[in-house]
Amino acid sequence: MTNHWIDIRNSDCILIMGSNAAENHPISMKWVTEAMDKGATLISVDPRFTRTSSKADIFTPLRSGTDIAFLGGMMNYILANKKYHEEYTANYTNASFILGAKYDFKDGLFAGYDSDKKKYDKSFWAFEKDENGVPKRDLTLKDPRCVFQLMKKHYARYTPKIVSSITGTPEKDLKKIWETYAKSGAADKTGTIMYAMGWTQHTVGVQNIRMMAMIQLMLGNMGRPGGGVNALRGESNVQGSTDHCLLFHIWPGYLKTPRASNVSLAAYNKKWTPTTNDPISANWWQHTPKYSVSFLKAMFGEAATKKNDFGYSWMPKLDDGKAYSWLDLFDEMYKGTIKGFFAWGQNPACSGANANKNRQAFANLDWMVNVNLFDNETASFWKGPGMNPDDIQTEVFFLPCATSVEKEGSITNSGRWSQWRYQCSKPLKGVKADGEIMVELFAKIREMYKDGGEFADPILNMRWDFVKDGKYDAHAVAKLINGYFEKDATVKGKSFKKGTLVPSFAYLLDDGSTSSANWLYCNSYTEKGNMAARREKKDPTGMGLYPEWSWCWPVNRRIIYNRASVDLKGKPWSANKNILEYKDGKWVGDVPDGGWPPMVNAAKTRRPFIMKPDGVASVFGPGRADGPFPEHYEPIECPVEKNILSATYTNPVAPVYGTEADVYKTCDPRFPFVATTYRVTEHWQTGVLTRWQPWLLETQPQLFVEMSQELGKLRGINNGDKCKVASARGEVEAVAMVTGRFKPFTVQGKTVHQVGLPWCYGWVHPEDGGDSANLLTPSTGDPNTRIPETKAFMVNVEKLGKRG
Amino acid sequence: MAGKYFFVDTTRCTACRGCQIACKNWNKQRASKTTQYGSYQNPSDLDGNTFRLVRFMEHPSKQNSMVWYFFTEACRHCLKPACQKKADQIKKGAIVVNDFGAVLFTKETKELEKAFKAIKQACPWSIPTWNKKDRQIVKCHMCHDRVAAGLPTSCSKACPTGALNFGEEAAIKKLANERLAAAKKKFGGKGEILDLDDVRVLYLIIDEQSKYRPVAI
Amino acid sequence: MALTRREFLKWSGSAGAAAAALCLGFDLKPVQSYASELKILKAKESTTICPYCAVGCGLIAHQKKSGKLLNTEGDPDHPINEGSLCAKGAALFQMTVNKARIRTPLYRAPESDEWEEIEWEDALEMIAERVKKTRDATFTQKNDKGQVVNRTTGIAHVGSAALDNEECWVLQGIMRALGLVFIEHQARI
Repeated sequence: MTNHWIDIRNSDCILIMGSNAAENHPISMKWVTEAMDKGATLISVDPRFTRTSSKADIFTPLRSGTDIAFLGGMMNYILANKKYHEEYTANYTNASFILGAKYDFKDGLFAGYDSDKKKYDKSFWAFEKDENGVPKRDLTLKDPRCVFQLMKKHYARYTPKIVSSITGTPEKDLKKIWETYAKSGAADKTGTIMYAMGWTQHTVGVQNIRMMAMIQLMLGNMGRPGGGVNALRGESNVQGSTDHCLLFHIWPGYLKTPRASNVSLAAYNKKWTPTTNDPISANWWQHTPKYSVSFLKAMFGEAATKKNDFGYSWMPKLDDGKAYSWLDLFDEMYKGTIKGFFAWGQNPACSGANANKNRQAFANLDWMVNVNLFDNETASFWKGPGMNPDDIQTEVFFLPCATSVEKEGSITNSGRWSQWRYQCSKPLKGVKADGEIMVELFAKIREMYKDGGEFADPILNMRWDFVKDGKYDAHAVAKLINGYFEKDATVKGKSFKKGTLVPSFAYLLDDGSTSSANWLYCNSYTEKGNMAARREKKDPTGMGLYPEWSWCWPVNRRIIYNRASVDLKGKPWSANKNILEYKDGKWVGDVPDGGWPPMVNAAKTRRPFIMKPDGVASVFGPGRADGPFPEHYEPIECPVEKNILSATYTNPVAPVYGTEADVYKTCDPRFPFVATTYRVTEHWQTGVLTRWQPWLLETQPQLFVEMSQELGKLRGINNGDKCKVASARGEVEAVAMVTGRFKPFTVQGKTVHQVGLPWCYGWVHPEDGGDSANLLTPSTGDPNTRIPETKAFMVNVEKLGKRG
Repeated sequence: MAGKYFFVDTTRCTACRGCQIACKNWNKQRASKTTQYGSYQNPSDLDGNTFRLVRFMEHPSKQNSMVWYFFTEACRHCLKPACQKKADQIKKGAIVVNDFGAVLFTKETKELEKAFKAIKQACPWSIPTWNKKDRQIVKCHMCHDRVAAGLPTSCSKACPTGALNFGEEAAIKKLANERLAAAKKKFGGKGEILDLDDVRVLYLIIDEQSKYRPVAI
Repeated sequence: MALTRREFLKWSGSAGAAAAALCLGFDLKPVQSYASELKILKAKESTTICPYCAVGCGLIAHQKKSGKLLNTEGDPDHPINEGSLCAKGAALFQMTVNKARIRTPLYRAPESDEWEEIEWEDALEMIAERVKKTRDATFTQKNDKGQVVNRTTGIAHVGSAALDNEECWVLQGIMRALGLVFIEHQARI
């Protein structure tokens, strides 16, 4: 979230699309309700009428996988009817930038597409630059080659009629929602978006979100209270685990994982440190070398020296151009190249797309380690449906761990608040806390490598001073995450002794004088104490920022991009939306995005979007794999034979896989219905924790499939009947929930039915609960993130038996 | 008699079921074996292990094509409890009303097994249930232990949106009237408070009562 | 005067009246009396954050003298949820106090159709041996192009967005020190 949960109350229009907040983030509705009490409008857009929709002022359905069409139409409405915030857009975004002569867009494809490699050459999307190397601008937004004009042309194609024909949303609803939401472009209004996996889990996932971010920028809603782009993250610490980068492509703090061609630390830093020629762009990532060196000092401590490139060569490198993502990982495991596997607090037998492929892949492993509280479909895969234990060689270790209340540490919520949790009870006898398991296991591995082994240096040299008397110490790790001065140093005129905690990332150095395991969290545990544990409820702005409650990255900034909440003089765009103001030569309110004076001070200012090399937000996004403007493409499996917007049917750069387990069937009469997956309030993710809790299981005991009354009639299915839901990859049994909350869509003049089912069940428990909906979903995904397309695919539904 | 009241604003309920589970948690209740029968509502009705249940009912509507009503149901803590009147005929003191108005089924209801059906029928909402394991009649007890200690009921504490409220009679009635006015404004003049003079659990609804819970005819 | 929750508890506790009542309300004798022996009033309190979605609601956990969990409920001082909880958050107690939890490491041997219980020491020793064996057998110092990569693609890791920040950092550190590149978790799906 660019903003945070409480801030939703400051909004005038709340769009919940690509998420079902009332179902999956129920307490967020507290703040939605508070906004509505003050007059805000709630809009719910979803394939079915949900618990969220039940509270909405406006609800409309759309077919899964067509969000870009819906939002592209909204962009068209905003631009054509001048609903955008012109001063904001011209100054704070790249709408004014002039595009180079090579940029073009034709029939669904952007310039630079190589159809053999299925890849774009992004150099075709570069901006024109002036003699100093700064992008050329037309602040009047009139130049026919400026981003604004090209964007206007691009989305002029998204007329209400065409959009409606793609999405299945009635035209009158489209217009009503576009008009309503666009009102948040007024200076004294803000609108917000609450989205989640309903937007990310598509072959156009990144572009779904970019499309909305662009709308937010055009309406001047970014950086402002009640505005922003707000991802409702689904796991208690998925924000923190992402920040600390349990992901192949990034090191902690969103530093890039080195590629094989980054042969030295210098080469790495050169490659990944962006530059700018714009004198008033802060280009914050210019500090990358300080963060990468401080990370390596945290990894290897004393062993990381300038002489040995701070241990850079000890870190594993990725091949250039290759992905090692979730889908790729299971593809390799299926092919048998992966021999050992840790599934640590995760249940990929149910959570991964095309879960049958994952389950079969486990049988190719030599060994698997599963850390969890309860038995689950991953650990016990060898006795699952269709498996013969006699044929499976995989050794499996199940390690029982402590619950969240049995240990101590911090977690980071969706609003970026890092909050400390105390140990509330002793761990159950026989289990260990995860941190304890890691430390004890690695100590054993390290002991073995003392006697030799392949490339033992990184193992023997990993910093270990957060282990006290053989015990994992959460406070010591938290301090290392913040970072220390590793030697006496003077920074910004202040002297620090060796061993002092670094006050904030502005003090990190690239010469090995500082460590910081994650620069983004530098400032979270300082000499002033454990910031995440703070519980002061002061609210000086009256806008619900609570700056002394817990701690929030970066540097306790509660709303990021907040310098875009003020005009060029540093005054809030509107007095009723004041979280930050430049008064008497200083900023008052939230921690500003850099302390430079406002834009009118042309000599000393810096542009507000400090993480971007150009200092402005990218309505034109030349860094994406699938194009600089979001464009509607059909899902890999869809019910229509053509994309009526262009001849480019599906995302031309979406990854697909080639094993016999990777089957895709589009427009196949055997799988005529659109399907989507979701969760329910009462279960969490695969249900691995909640299915074992009798109170929760009682409320949602078995897999169900929701469908319209019309589809029920078509298939002779009554409410409560047992059904089979099948895709090209697998099938599940589910109880039919025949409901008026799903309605057939009219798409390209034809009736299209959609069904939906939750993915929180599995065969281990309860016995009659049904299995994972991910047995149905396809292994394809977004070309930028490789997040699987589990939200739009094709199935068949058949009646199995009588009611009861 | 003054005392404690609940106020349920159904227009604000999102069916998160925090109240339903918070009740189970405070009472450390067992769970019943349930099955999916084509509804989000489970257990299908109040039972010996469930004192509070969120009901789900959906209906076609002009506005947004559908309405989906959620109704958190439990004992109404009547000012003149019919269940008590019935029980008194057999065993006086088995059902009592405490000084802040909680209608309480004591352990003595163990002796009322034969009268259970009659007691249930006496209740206009069929709230009392028979707990097979403990062999007694059970229902919501207004978290009288918490309330006596100055704490809110576990269900009302759990409610995120202000749908389920608990407090002193005057404060609750004031809130109910304010919300009624707000609902009438928002929903085109619709809105009523149910059974205002008879019970300690006031419901604000904006549609026919039968659209929120099955009504016995 | 607005009392904080803690002050409020203190105040209401000291107001203490007579007679005991069990939580189910079945033991009221006499029922008109108040409960001063409310089970949570004397319990040790700690605060925690809900482990489910990322709204980050605060809870209070009450602990028995034995160190066992007695109860969990919403933290009214927490500015996000102000004491409220959804169904999952309200059931937090049952995640910890749950008979289905596994209480000892389990091992499944090749071709076996059952789990066997093993000691922690043995489990960790066996895993460490396997990590080393697989790593040593699959470690690649240079890729096909002759570039230094110092990695193993023979071991993969997934998880976990349910761990604490500190655990996440240590876990990525260990996996990267081992040379893993297949490191993924919930954020990818």
